[in-house]
Amino acid sequence: MKIPRLTTLASLAVLVVLALFPVIGIPLSWLNYLFTFFICLALANMWNLLAGYTGLICLCPHAFVGLAGYTLAIGSWVGVPFQAGLIAGAAVAALFALLISFPVFRMRGIYFAIGTLILPEALKAWFNYWRPVGNVYQGMGAGYSVTGVEGVTLGDTFWLGLAIAAASIFLVHIILRARLGLGLTAIRDNENTAASAGVNVFRLKLYSFLIAAFIMGIAGAAYYIYSPRINPVGGFNISWLLLPLMATVIGGEGLEEGPIIGAAIVTFLRFLLADYGAWSLFIQGIILLVVVVVMPQGIAGLLRQVGAYRFPLRLFQAVEGRIHENVK
Amino acid sequence: MSETAVLSIDRLNKHFGGIVAVKDLSFEVQAGEILGLMGPNGAGKTTLLNMIAGTYSPSSGRVNFCGRDITGLPAHKLCHLGIARTYQIPQPFTSLSARQNILVATKYGGKKAAGMEHDKIFDLVNLSEQKDMLARDLATVSLKRLELARALASNPTLLLLDEVAAGSTDAELPRILGIIEEIRKMGKTVVLVEHVMKVMVEAVDRIIVIDKGEKIAEGTPGEVMKDEKVIAAYFG
Repeated sequence: MKIPRLTTLASLAVLVVLALFPVIGIPLSWLNYLFTFFICLALANMWNLLAGYTGLICLCPHAFVGLAGYTLAIGSWVGVPFQAGLIAGAAVAALFALLISFPVFRMRGIYFAIGTLILPEALKAWFNYWRPVGNVYQGMGAGYSVTGVEGVTLGDTFWLGLAIAAASIFLVHIILRARLGLGLTAIRDNENTAASAGVNVFRLKLYSFLIAAFIMGIAGAAYYIYSPRINPVGGFNISWLLLPLMATVIGGEGLEEGPIIGAAIVTFLRFLLADYGAWSLFIQGIILLVVVVVMPQGIAGLLRQVGAYRFPLRLFQAVEGRIHENVK
Repeated sequence: MSETAVLSIDRLNKHFGGIVAVKDLSFEVQAGEILGLMGPNGAGKTTLLNMIAGTYSPSSGRVNFCGRDITGLPAHKLCHLGIARTYQIPQPFTSLSARQNILVATKYGGKKAAGMEHDKIFDLVNLSEQKDMLARDLATVSLKRLELARALASNPTLLLLDEVAAGSTDAELPRILGIIEEIRKMGKTVVLVEHVMKVMVEAVDRIIVIDKGEKIAEGTPGEVMKDEKVIAAYFG
């Protein structure tokens, strides 16, 4: 199925309209919702790259987010501007991914998942005690505020979030159509066969892991520019894992549009259920369960199954055909 | 070691805990030769292939490929050097189409694999009509052929075929023999593990029989079939 170029134009149009939001007087609460959506989307896209396309059930996004957030915060205390802190945070997350790759890639499947799950807990404990700069709180580490971001407006963070989310979509789109995407899918389907067909399984998994850690890190650091206060419980909170996981599974794992649909639903639910405290998690859990049982390929999988994309695609193709005729 | 040997195995051993799967096995395969590996179930044939292809590393001993020591190299490097294998139980990339399955081998099989013509390979293994089907939708017989196609797609010097004919009907055998003959004409060296005697007798130049991890006989198909040790190993 050839995707008409009109879809590219349509996505660009959506991007431009979204980018105009802060300057055309959209309510601030909307910008807040959308920013959260962008961060969730970037995380979910990367989680999908790992779980959906590489077969790595990675349960440590909160390690990447927390490390990037702490890098940004600590950097801001020693005079690193937040723009550099953002990149440095992502780089530290990727470096951490590189360091852990050798031990965790020795494990496969569920063992890899468990191996990654303990890492953020260890980091949380570490950052409880480690305080490299600033005043000492009762002999402990704990929280930092990010300094030097007072001049950053909600509009600025909105654009930053939009850029990161758009980049994550574009990145996955490119990877899937390149040689790397084919290799990753081969590894997901069958590691042994991939190796016999010449795929360097370790190296390709590492590429995917580093890319995901970097983007997850930059998304996390962007969040701490938006909400400039980090502590170990918040930075290494398991909700940084649950958000992208739920978005990917509800939206459709291993499908490109899955995380987009899923992130929209998860963000919407979070605000809808914000007043219900612990019940919110309970309700989200039930929704996740129902989706997994009723539509194992997620909402995007169901949409594909019933052919929901056929009509809009045909419409696009028809319009494109008209345009071509008129141009002639 | 003779100069024309593509593969040379020297006193290879493999233990799994206390179990000896391959014991002091030595043999050579010459360029362009088709060697048959025979033996009762559990004799160590697949373990041997796994060691040559890099899935396992041997407990001791040497494997030489085209004069180069390849003992213990990882599977993907051996593929780049020119060793390809099929799996006894087909191991396709299930979510990819047959064509993409093969594309993995040409894209990642190293320099020698570039420019392999997929249509020719599909024609050879008689899978042309199913090349756009997803591997998960293919029947077992087609998956066996897909294994062959993927192995050929990395343009190997040495092909390790693990029971390509197993499960085929008598009517399909001539086709498989034809494919093996074509592979021979391409000048490839083949190590063939097979239980189907018709394939062994008609396709291979030489047979090595192993039992309990040890070589018990070696020779032309005719000679081996008459060997008392072989008869004893098979019929007790």
